[in-house]
Amino acid sequence: RLSPSSCAAVYSSPLVLCRLTQVRWSRYNPSYIEPEVNKELYQKPWEELSEEEKEKMELKAVQPIKAAPPSLSSSVFSDPMISKFTNMMMKNGNKVLARSLMAQTLETIKRKQLEKYHKAPEDEKETIECNPYVIFHQALKNCQPIIGVTNITKGGKTYQVPVPLKDNRKRFLAMKWLITECRENKNRRTMMPEKLSQELLQAFNNEGPIIKKKHVLHKMAEANRAYAHFRWW
Amino acid sequence: LDHGYALHTAAKDCFSSIVSQDAQALAERPRAVFYTNESDPANHTEHHEGRHYSIPLEEVKAVFPHGLPRRFQQQIKTFNEACLMVRKPALEIFTYLKSSNFAHPAVRYVIYGEKGTGKTMTLCHVVHYCARQGWLVLHVPDAHLWVKNCRELMQSSYNKERLDQPLQASFWLKNFKTSNERFLKEIKTQKKYVWGKRESTEEGRPLGEVVEQGLARVRNASDAVGVVLKEIKQQCHLGSFRLLVAVDGVNALWGRTTLKKEDKSPVSPEELTLVYNLRKMMMNDW
Repeated sequence: RLSPSSCAAVYSSPLVLCRLTQVRWSRYNPSYIEPEVNKELYQKPWEELSEEEKEKMELKAVQPIKAAPPSLSSSVFSDPMISKFTNMMMKNGNKVLARSLMAQTLETIKRKQLEKYHKAPEDEKETIECNPYVIFHQALKNCQPIIGVTNITKGGKTYQVPVPLKDNRKRFLAMKWLITECRENKNRRTMMPEKLSQELLQAFNNEGPIIKKKHVLHKMAEANRAYAHFRWW
Repeated sequence: LDHGYALHTAAKDCFSSIVSQDAQALAERPRAVFYTNESDPANHTEHHEGRHYSIPLEEVKAVFPHGLPRRFQQQIKTFNEACLMVRKPALEIFTYLKSSNFAHPAVRYVIYGEKGTGKTMTLCHVVHYCARQGWLVLHVPDAHLWVKNCRELMQSSYNKERLDQPLQASFWLKNFKTSNERFLKEIKTQKKYVWGKRESTEEGRPLGEVVEQGLARVRNASDAVGVVLKEIKQQCHLGSFRLLVAVDGVNALWGRTTLKKEDKSPVSPEELTLVYNLRKMMMNDW
């Protein structure tokens, strides 16, 4: 039986059976180990390591290691969420542009918050958050839906059935909504960093169009509660 | 190497203040080493090289209505303070200006260097110094703005071959008025100028009226600029005020323009009234 994997079919002559090769999965030999990027692990002396870590270090001396992808970095400034978001913003493989847009967005957020900070009276100064990374993470968390809807066809009719979402799916939806909102609903002359920073700050304060979209989704799931039993997983 | 030298003076100061038991204050404000309390450019010496001094925001609005580059204005808006770094070329120019002989013709200084090394900021430092000393400052923030991207180009009424730029001229006049208010009341015109059929400025009227005329009638703005420059140049000899002409991007006055006349032929810089008058200021015959 054929496993549901992406394969390339090779047709050479009618006599030879078509050969299937795995295309999108890893071409590495299974003995290859993932690269370890965490610097602190290497700085710990041998005695402090736990049993499994000691075993892993010993294995690394013997087994070959996969090449580290260019997006994986051990720097303190790299953030996996930000990298994911930058990749989603990228168009036609232009990572340079996407990364510079992301940097400008974070700079704009910081500038706006600093202006607010300088204008605020003394007692309110502590409540203003100036760290753009904190704002980014909090805004994304606020945008993530808790429950989603899928289409399930039963008896010829398609129903919108409420369904729990996985973490990855929630993160993806939040980022996707943010990017589409910034791309479509903006004036032709506003730059992307400015619009993105505006949306992020609004999401940080739990207001704005993306939070509204999340609430609409929640309401739809709540309205279709009756069909919840159609889900079989 | 220069960077290391600047850090060296800052570090020396750091050590001296630690010796004088200021360590606690330094620990609280580790960046205090890079700031200086001396806000009068006249008192800046080699000791202050590499430090930043802050200009109060009201002075910024009065002295630099159009002088600072856009990125710096953004920084001022974000941090609520304008801090300029004291650089060696600026200090050099200050020594020359302090010891200059005003009976001799004017000396022309050129600030040159690679991209991003601080030429514009050095110029702004010198302008601030002269403004503090009470000089009349003629600051052209970017000469390139006058030779490219001009929407309205009209034929000059004064001289048929030249072209006027009303927008740029009126913008510059407005900013010139904000920065040099008191001089405009003191300097008097020495000739009668006729602007049109009904408008003219008599002899002996304050220069402020010429500027008002240029702002009110935008068509004559470039000619008003020319008149202002001519008057200031002539009266500089009398010794009632000292003049500093600061032009950023001076090469634009002698380069090519991107402008075209109506018959698509290229415009050379001499044909623009503003550039022609400014070039006359660049000669050291005053």
